[in-house]
Amino acid sequence: MPLVACGRSPRGGDGSTFRVNLSTEPPTLDWSLATDHVSFNVIANLMVGLTEFDKNLKPAPVIAKSWDVLDDGKRLVFHLREDVAWSDGKKVVAGDFEYAWKRLLNPKTASEYSYTLFDVENAEEYNTGKITDESQVGVTAVDDTTLEIRLKHPTSYFLSLTTFEVTYPQRRDVIEKFGSRWTDPENIVTNGPFLLSSWKHDNEIRLKANPNFFLGKPAIDNVEMTMINEPTTALALYEQGQLDFLDNHSIPILEKPRLAKSAGFKNVPQLRGEYYGFSVLKKPFDDPRVRRAFAMAIDRSLIPKLLRGGEEPTSSWIPPGMLAHNSRIGLSYNPPEARRLLREAGYPDGKGFPPVTLAYNTLEDKKLVAEAVQGMWKRNLGILVRLENLEWKVFLQRLVNNPPAIFRSGWGADYPDPDNFIKLFASYSPQNYSRWKNSHYDQLLAQAARELNEQKRSRLYDDAQKILCEVDVPIVPLFNTAESTLLNPRYSGLDYNSMGRLVLRHVRPSNVSGDK
Amino acid sequence: MPRFILKRLLHGVAVLWVVATLTFALLRVLPGGPFDRDRRLPPEVMANIAAKYHLDEPLLAQYARYLKGLAAGDLGPSYKYIDRTVIDIVIDTLPASAYLGLVALALALAFSLPLGVTAAAWHDRWVDRACTLFATLGISLPNFILGALLIWVFSLKLGWLQARWGMPGSALLPAMTLGAMPCAQLTYLLRSSLLETLGADFIRTARAKGVRESIVLFKHALRNSLIPVLTLLGPVFAILISGSFVVEYVFAIPGMGRFFITAVTDRDYPLVMGVTLVYTAILVCANLTVDLLYSAVDPRMRTRG
Repeated sequence: MPLVACGRSPRGGDGSTFRVNLSTEPPTLDWSLATDHVSFNVIANLMVGLTEFDKNLKPAPVIAKSWDVLDDGKRLVFHLREDVAWSDGKKVVAGDFEYAWKRLLNPKTASEYSYTLFDVENAEEYNTGKITDESQVGVTAVDDTTLEIRLKHPTSYFLSLTTFEVTYPQRRDVIEKFGSRWTDPENIVTNGPFLLSSWKHDNEIRLKANPNFFLGKPAIDNVEMTMINEPTTALALYEQGQLDFLDNHSIPILEKPRLAKSAGFKNVPQLRGEYYGFSVLKKPFDDPRVRRAFAMAIDRSLIPKLLRGGEEPTSSWIPPGMLAHNSRIGLSYNPPEARRLLREAGYPDGKGFPPVTLAYNTLEDKKLVAEAVQGMWKRNLGILVRLENLEWKVFLQRLVNNPPAIFRSGWGADYPDPDNFIKLFASYSPQNYSRWKNSHYDQLLAQAARELNEQKRSRLYDDAQKILCEVDVPIVPLFNTAESTLLNPRYSGLDYNSMGRLVLRHVRPSNVSGDK
Repeated sequence: MPRFILKRLLHGVAVLWVVATLTFALLRVLPGGPFDRDRRLPPEVMANIAAKYHLDEPLLAQYARYLKGLAAGDLGPSYKYIDRTVIDIVIDTLPASAYLGLVALALALAFSLPLGVTAAAWHDRWVDRACTLFATLGISLPNFILGALLIWVFSLKLGWLQARWGMPGSALLPAMTLGAMPCAQLTYLLRSSLLETLGADFIRTARAKGVRESIVLFKHALRNSLIPVLTLLGPVFAILISGSFVVEYVFAIPGMGRFFITAVTDRDYPLVMGVTLVYTAILVCANLTVDLLYSAVDPRMRTRG
């Protein structure tokens, strides 16, 4: 829908109210229950936790001023700042973390992200009801400023987990008093740069700067978060000067080439990978040679030209920017070698190859990639793969119950650590739709998870990635995504990070000095 | 009359029960569940969620629990909007949809009545053809095209009206988009109904007696031609005030209409059932009102109480 008048640039914005489009209503502002990026984008501006990840994706201190890793990595002790206050004036204490973590693990909370803490001693047992005494869970507030975590085993990625919003502290008194209504603006108590001033469901959320935020009051006084689903409408409002920031969900794909030339447009690489998986238990993809042939017949360099969103083709799985990313790993485009492998597997020029289907969920960009890859396989291997698009939930169920011969999937990081990516294809992972199992791969992952030395850890992940992307090839990594963003040039300092989080605390009108 | 109303209300309750049962059953046979995610959850975590929402109980027990809640006026919790109940969501969103629907209905009636009468009165002349063309456009132009076109012209090009809900005059463009189709349908219906009535014997008699044409048209013919219009008005009213997915999506209106689609794609069972039942209840009430209006318009249809 060509809704937008060309060549307009955004006006408006009185400097004190920053207006962003969230696209949809956040399903919840309870960070123990949130699972989606919209909720986390609001929460990330209301709350801070023990750590946050820095520009190098390493956990940096926030409420925790320091930490000790003890007992060969099995025990962590966080030392908390004393000047962090909740919005009602009370001090943030270690007990607020203990309560939040145990609430996340409490089976009655039914948190979808409870499993992120399963490395903590007795956490899984408590969550699954094997023990009911929460005092046995390895999280203890030693005193107001000391939080002790006991792990089942050394866990190299555990510090990264403390950047994740689900580990942020909570107030027992507030939650117990207001029940499910505790996140209403009149009840919620937070500790971050902004305070929730109003929440008109399905319409808008308003935040105001927290004057007592311990890292300094934000430069903008107010934030208005709208919930406009339709990207063309959101873009029209941006160009009319009624919105100051749009993320990828609010920018129509077809408008990206035009907008790329305008000030304020940016493609932000994401810690998110797209891949095609093979159902390895069924013929013909039970043969690794066939899987390798299909992988080598894909020219990934064409994908960014199709999607035009700053995508980065990749043949390895751990994304750029993360520890252990290695672009040299993986099978690159090589049609003659692909044909040789296929011939060796008993399908010269694709002859005798059984009919196979590539399934994807119904979305325009998934379809564009699927059609392009279908053409590459036909051209390079002589095999015409059938395409099947399925409604999202139907697609998910198919992946679990009866995975198609080839399927698309993707993964975005919950926390910036390779473990969060590489574990997807472990034999025990619920996400391993291809049903591939390799005990050596599992072993390498377990070893890496316990290895505290980063160099040694990277080497272990290299070995695992080689099995995944070169030898067994249950999946073919295709590209890492990027998110297009538009920021009104009247503002600067907006941090839209590689996890897709919108962090507004450094935003300021461009004419104010001290831009970050 | 009170007995008639009571009977119809009881009939309405039976309709609600049938709709609730069918929706409950259809949702359960739909592939994919409410907590099937991109990030597939470990079975033990899934078990906690199932227990929280009683999805681990046998289907019949879930059905009985739902009906029991329904009888107490509880439509259950939303699976997607975790901290809100379905009633909360309906209370939050129905007013915007109803307001928009009423403005759309007012616009539809304000345009369709004069257009229908004009087209019938000047049958087969250019005025009739112009009205018919207008009505055809209203029926054939999809909502999303009309909505986008209106935003482009009135909001972006001319800058007269705001596309954002809550700003002054912001209801006008979506109401025009939403009202276009019923306006066209009502125009067609009124025109053909009036033409039929104008050919009836009693109109010929009135004309033969020398009654003025305007009185023939407005007093004798129009009143008798309103029955089919009223029949259509019941469902049109229910559809308009319970919200439209497309119009609410294009104009970013915080209404209930979007949940008719999004709640199904999310497999948010209680929300799907809730909005379906609210829509059914509105439809039942609208139809009952129409039935009562029949008797006001046409004395032959008066029901004995």
